[in-house]
Amino acid sequence: MKIGFINIPFKEGFTIKSLFSFEKTPTNLLVAVFTLALLASFVVGVAMFLTHGHHAYNVTREHPWGLLLAVYIFFVVSSTGLCIIGSLGDVFGFKDYMMISKRAIFGSIVTILAGFAVILFEIGHPVTMLIYNVLSPGLTSAIWWMGTLYGLYLTFMIIEFYFLLNNDMKKAKIFGLTGLLVGLAAHSNLGSVFGFLNARPISNGVYYPTYFILTAFITGVFLAFIVMGFRYKLNFPAKAKVMLEGLAKIQGLLISILIFFVTWKMLTDIYGGMPNRSEVAVHILGSWTFQAEVLLAMVLPLLVVLTTMGRKPVLMFWASMIGMVGIFFMRYNLVHDTQLKPLQMLKIKEYQLAPEWIHYFPSPAEMLISAGGLGLCIAMYYVGTKMFNLDEEEGH
Amino acid sequence: MARYGMVLDYKNCINCKACEVACKEENGILMGADKHRIWVGTGEIEGQYPLLDLTSNVFQPSQCQHCDDAPCEDVCPTQATFTDENGVVRVDVEKCILCTYCMNACPYDARYIEERTMTVDKCTFCTDTRLARGETTTACQNTCPTKVRIFGDLDDPNSEISEVLRVREHFSLKSHLGTNPKLFYLT
Amino acid sequence: MEVEISRRKFLQGTVAMSVVGATAATSLLSNEHAAPEKSGSVSFHATKTGTGKSHDVATLCEMCVNKCAALARVEDGVVTKLNPNPLFPKSKNMLCARGNAGIQALYDPDRLKYPMIRIGEKGEGKFKRVTWDEAYKAILNGTDKFPGLSKILDEEEDNRSSMLFCAGEGMAEHTFKQFYQAFGSANWLNHASICLQTVASGYGVTLGVYPQADLENAEYIIMAGANRAEAIVTPDTMDLFKRTKGRGAKLICVDPRFTNTAAKADKWLAIKPGTDLAFVLALTYVTLTEELQNKEYIEANFNGYEEYSKSVIENKYTPEWAEPITGVKAKDIYTIAREFAAAAPKAIYYPGRRSTFAKSDFQLRRAMAIFQALHGAIDNEGGLIFGSKLPLKEHEGLMPLYDRAQARAIVKSTDSKGHQGYDDCAVVSGGGSWISWRNHFLEDKMPYKVRGMFCYKHNPMMNMPNTTKTAEMLRKMELVVTIDTMPSDTVMYADVVLPECTYLERTDPVKTFGGVEPSFAVRNKVIDPMFETKPVIEILKGLTTKISKPLFEISKKHDEELQDLIDEEGEEKAYTEFDLTLPFVHSQEELNHHAVAMYIGAAEKLHHDGVFYPKQDEYYKQLAANKFQYYPEKKKYYSTRGGKPKTPSGKVECVLGSFTAKGIDAMPVWRDEYEFSVPAGKFKLLTGRHAQFTQSGTSNNAMLRDLMPENFIWINKRVAEQKGIKFADMIEVSSSIGKTQLKAYPTEKIAPDQVFFIHGFGEESEELTWAYKNGGNDNMIIEDHIEPVYGAAAMHETNVEIRKV
Ligand SMILES: Nc1nc2c(c(=O)[nH]1)N[C@H]1C(S)=C(S)[C@@H](COP(=O)(O)OP(=O)(O)OC[C@H]3O[C@@H](n4cnc5c(=O)[nH]c(N)nc54)[C@H](O)[C@@H]3O)O[C@H]1N2
Ligand SMILES: Nc1nc2c(c(=O)[nH]1)N[C@H]1C(S)=C(S)[C@@H](COP(=O)(O)OP(=O)(O)OC[C@H]3O[C@@H](n4cnc5c(=O)[nH]c(N)nc54)[C@H](O)[C@@H]3O)O[C@H]1N2
Ligand code: SF4
Ligand code: SF4
Ligand code: SF4
Ligand code: SF4
Ligand code: SF4
Ligand SMILES: [Mo]
Repeated sequence: MKIGFINIPFKEGFTIKSLFSFEKTPTNLLVAVFTLALLASFVVGVAMFLTHGHHAYNVTREHPWGLLLAVYIFFVVSSTGLCIIGSLGDVFGFKDYMMISKRAIFGSIVTILAGFAVILFEIGHPVTMLIYNVLSPGLTSAIWWMGTLYGLYLTFMIIEFYFLLNNDMKKAKIFGLTGLLVGLAAHSNLGSVFGFLNARPISNGVYYPTYFILTAFITGVFLAFIVMGFRYKLNFPAKAKVMLEGLAKIQGLLISILIFFVTWKMLTDIYGGMPNRSEVAVHILGSWTFQAEVLLAMVLPLLVVLTTMGRKPVLMFWASMIGMVGIFFMRYNLVHDTQLKPLQMLKIKEYQLAPEWIHYFPSPAEMLISAGGLGLCIAMYYVGTKMFNLDEEEGH
Repeated sequence: MARYGMVLDYKNCINCKACEVACKEENGILMGADKHRIWVGTGEIEGQYPLLDLTSNVFQPSQCQHCDDAPCEDVCPTQATFTDENGVVRVDVEKCILCTYCMNACPYDARYIEERTMTVDKCTFCTDTRLARGETTTACQNTCPTKVRIFGDLDDPNSEISEVLRVREHFSLKSHLGTNPKLFYLT
Repeated sequence: MEVEISRRKFLQGTVAMSVVGATAATSLLSNEHAAPEKSGSVSFHATKTGTGKSHDVATLCEMCVNKCAALARVEDGVVTKLNPNPLFPKSKNMLCARGNAGIQALYDPDRLKYPMIRIGEKGEGKFKRVTWDEAYKAILNGTDKFPGLSKILDEEEDNRSSMLFCAGEGMAEHTFKQFYQAFGSANWLNHASICLQTVASGYGVTLGVYPQADLENAEYIIMAGANRAEAIVTPDTMDLFKRTKGRGAKLICVDPRFTNTAAKADKWLAIKPGTDLAFVLALTYVTLTEELQNKEYIEANFNGYEEYSKSVIENKYTPEWAEPITGVKAKDIYTIAREFAAAAPKAIYYPGRRSTFAKSDFQLRRAMAIFQALHGAIDNEGGLIFGSKLPLKEHEGLMPLYDRAQARAIVKSTDSKGHQGYDDCAVVSGGGSWISWRNHFLEDKMPYKVRGMFCYKHNPMMNMPNTTKTAEMLRKMELVVTIDTMPSDTVMYADVVLPECTYLERTDPVKTFGGVEPSFAVRNKVIDPMFETKPVIEILKGLTTKISKPLFEISKKHDEELQDLIDEEGEEKAYTEFDLTLPFVHSQEELNHHAVAMYIGAAEKLHHDGVFYPKQDEYYKQLAANKFQYYPEKKKYYSTRGGKPKTPSGKVECVLGSFTAKGIDAMPVWRDEYEFSVPAGKFKLLTGRHAQFTQSGTSNNAMLRDLMPENFIWINKRVAEQKGIKFADMIEVSSSIGKTQLKAYPTEKIAPDQVFFIHGFGEESEELTWAYKNGGNDNMIIEDHIEPVYGAAAMHETNVEIRKV
């Protein structure tokens, strides 16, 4: 389809109607119902937010950031991860990874859109944000940079995807590279949103900005397995197997590095003697969400890589599914643990226990909107597979 | 133009919370435990009855520190948080997008969400109420039974606050964070 | 200085009067125990001051007894802020939390708004809104549910004492009292016997006056059984805590609980409840045996010194004797006696206020007064002071003689002069003994029938031990008329409810405040009364206009003296002595004008500034942001009598011979029955104040409740642990007379054999949105013990059991 000089090569036979036709296998039906349920929960969650405002959320003065922010981070990290994976082929020219480029880049667009959709309902005044982000930019603010760079990043990703669709690999490469760089910058700024918080010793410092890039890469690899798994219904062609074996090995390396990161962070936190840090770290160590993160995002996937040497993509697919659950906990923990320690350690009411730890549990609205984010993501991705040819063009 | 600050002779404080109510009434703050610009912190006494440790008891009145290097201002994406010409750290309701980053960044838990505007709010040194009318005291200072607070211009060497800071030892809270608070506690 | 007005203004215009739904639990730091908010749509008024047109009205706070001076800011007819009025020497430019929250009392949605009469069963709280005229008529003639005054008085043959009058402390208590006097009853009860009776009388009979304490200049202060950091009394609270903690005044706090006063003290002595007398006697012993007393002063100003001295020494009230009784170390008693003497005469054994904790209280206060006097620290700078008082011109009341009116009910001796005693206490003071009165009434031990009562600004259902009995009393009263601002628990038992406007809506009688820096202060009306409420003076004007003539007719029928008088002077002339409307013909403003007429410019000044004293313009200065001069140092009334006590003899009375006849010790001596003991497994219940609440009167104040949602019971932490009680667990507290429930606060601030909770919570009136069943009600379980001299409620004589529910 052509609009002016823009040419969008839709998939052959794409019509609105074709959107609703798919092979009615039990799995597909299940996924369809699941997705619809998620979308419905988004609608319900948003309705709750619109009727009750922020009261629909369990965020408080002491814990102003809740699940929605965690889910936002989950999505934008996924996006950055997919962008990195996508870039392997079209930017860095690793031929093996070419086959996933388009899919990954499209995925990165979809995930960041889902992230934006979720955060839209966390930020109190999104319209004001658009205006004053420009009129009075807070240049010292990591959130400003993060938001602005992600905006740019999304633009570059779309352009890159456009050129990929049109098979203009040169331009795709240029925009891909720029997008990647901007994305990485945005991403480390997201880390610095936490890193800059000198009120919060547990997060303060250079750790998160770097760690974020690493975990993005890991997330990207997990998602690559999932995306390819769905694409080939776990029946991988030889070419994919080769690529996935490579990815699995990279993943093994990345996870190992991550484990080092986390171990050292924990050790320095606990034994660093920094007030407000070690007791928080000890508390984190004992929390089930952290244990879930370590087990699901690190230990299990690494075990699979090590035991199969990456040669069992189906197993890796399942490990990646589990891994993504672990990554979700990772994001949740990041947000929650940052706010664990009360800034005000004194009692301010007569009959109250002295504050010890800040508790938080997401409200139904927060959970519904978050689940909805996933629904949006799947739905958009599904529409993408219907509209565009996301496979590598033959003959290249 | 001034550089407002506050001195707290906090040992006077009897935890009566007159300051908290005065602030709420003067500045139209909503009810609710988490909606406060000002508070008095206490700890649970240490020791066993009747051998309690008198020194472990503190009543620590506090509010926004109006940091000269305010982390809340640094992290604000839209410059909604700003330091006004009198050194008062304030929030512009027009610009605040309620990202709540500042709430996370303030080391003193001085900020909360104002639910009518759905923006972040905090102590303003009564800028838009009392000071705007030309008054020279804040509601919390004025009402205090034991006269804990002295409010005034730190740049004016003749002001009472400057004089007190010259002659009496004082400290500020979490000063290691480099926030340079303009609330001073007399020892 | 340039200040910009924030854009926030658009929110509320110049004045915020938005009624906003209080928000549900978002509560912080949420340990699972975070107090759950009461559901239901509760509203309060958010007031924000503006920068537009406004005016200030000088008034006086009446959120508690202190009467601090306030400036009410009025914008568009709405009170938006209460600020301290710096001009008043008593309150020295302060308003406490309650004073600030007075706005919420004014705009409390639960306020009484209209006169009402009962249509349901007594105590059921079912009322019908009526006009004022109908309400007055109901008081006079009754309805099918209750008899009116005319029936009662006719049946009681004009015994005016068949109506009881009771009132809480307040600036207009005087106005109500005039009604009582004109009405001619002899039955008057007020807060005294549940408040300061024993301390006021103990000091009264010993020093001739209940003195003030010059805490601004004292160098050594023993504060026992008084909690000035939480039970706020001005100017004491303000003067004291600026100087403690090594800053000029050494404070010894003697309290079984670790209070906020203890937190500010240099030393805290955890005394066993009810044993203060032993402590003071031991201090006295040290003083006398170590000859630390001021001999010159004693020589000139004491009666019975030798006898008392002999008694203390011969009874061997040594610190070692006192140690096991009081739990206070002998060593500490020696030190304190010596330090006190060293600091004297700038040393104070603080008299206290709500004093009647134990049965020994009257003797305790006597011992305290004598101990103070032994050091000559009376009527001097830094000691106990008499101060000076500016005289007011009294407004003449009406006191008709009703021949049929009988003397105060339940007298012991029946001869006409000596109706001085109940059968359970020795002396009847002006305020009476509430508990004795109530119990005798319930037990039908009255010498005649009392059938109805008027209750002004008083909440007997909440304020007196043994609520069950109070409820019975109110049910038994055939006609209960309450004048209140809120639908209190007592109001629920009323037959006729007369809504008074709040203190911010009325002018009250000008009052003179004696002390080191004497002055007048007045409560000026800030805004017009809301709804159909009226000031008590106008309520009484309306009521007396309605009832005066008809009641006169009843007197005419039964009162032979009156018949004679009419025969002699004619009815019209005779009536002038019985015209109940007379005390209320003038407006309060006129009366106030009249009261200060002898001071030039005072009336205007009072109207404008709320405060007046001679040479005020010359003397008053603001010295710094927080410092004011009211009188120059030299002009202050630290000493007005050269230390001479105000007793009729002009001496400190150590021995009161006349008391022996009534079975009361003539001198303070220790008796074994005073000893503190608690049966195993039980706890002594203590009660008292909190800085953010005034008895039961503020329990429905949304702002104050926001500061502290409910009362918790203090239980020693180790005991709680043994019993498996955790913070905020619901506890049932029970005594021999009842039970109540509230949440647990395990703490080391209280002894293992005692529990404590704040008085004034747990009301039962469903009309009180915030206060209804909120927290525990102490008077449900405090047994109605009285001390033997004045019949004051001994509030800490009850043992309770606790149980987790
Ligand atoms: N268990 C226990 N009992 C106690 C005490 C204790 O510590 N423990 N304290 C005792 C002491 S010291 C005292 S002084 C007494 C106090 O006992 P009360 O004199 O009964 O005082 P409150 O309990 O404050 O109740 C005051 C009543 O007056 C009403 N009121 C308030 N303002 C106005 C007004 O302007 N006009 C009218 N008409 N009514 C008004 C209120 O609504 C309320 O119903 O309680 C005593 N009772
Ligand atoms: N904020 C506030 N201020 C008030 C009031 C109010 O309601 N709220 N009410 C006003 C009125 S009416 C009054 S009467 C006064 C009351 O003023 P206070 O008498 O000072 O106050 P309470 O809290 O009743 O009791 C004082 C202390 O005595 C302790 N105590 C109990 N038993 C004993 C004992 O046997 N020995 C010793 N040494 N201590 C004991 C209690 O633990 C308590 O801390 O406060 C006035 N000021
Ligand atoms: S008003 Fe003064 S004494 Fe009361 S809590 Fe506030 S600072 Fe402390
Ligand atoms: S105390 Fe907090 S809110 Fe106030 S200026 Fe400092 S960082 Fe900002
Ligand atoms: S919540 Fe408002 S004031 Fe705070 S950082 Fe965000 S935009 Fe700035
Ligand atoms: S200075 Fe004003 S705004 Fe700040 S805490 Fe005090 S009363 Fe509230
Ligand atoms: S002490 Fe508080 S409540 Fe009592 S009169 Fe003064 S300001 Fe009002
Ligand atoms: Mo009292």
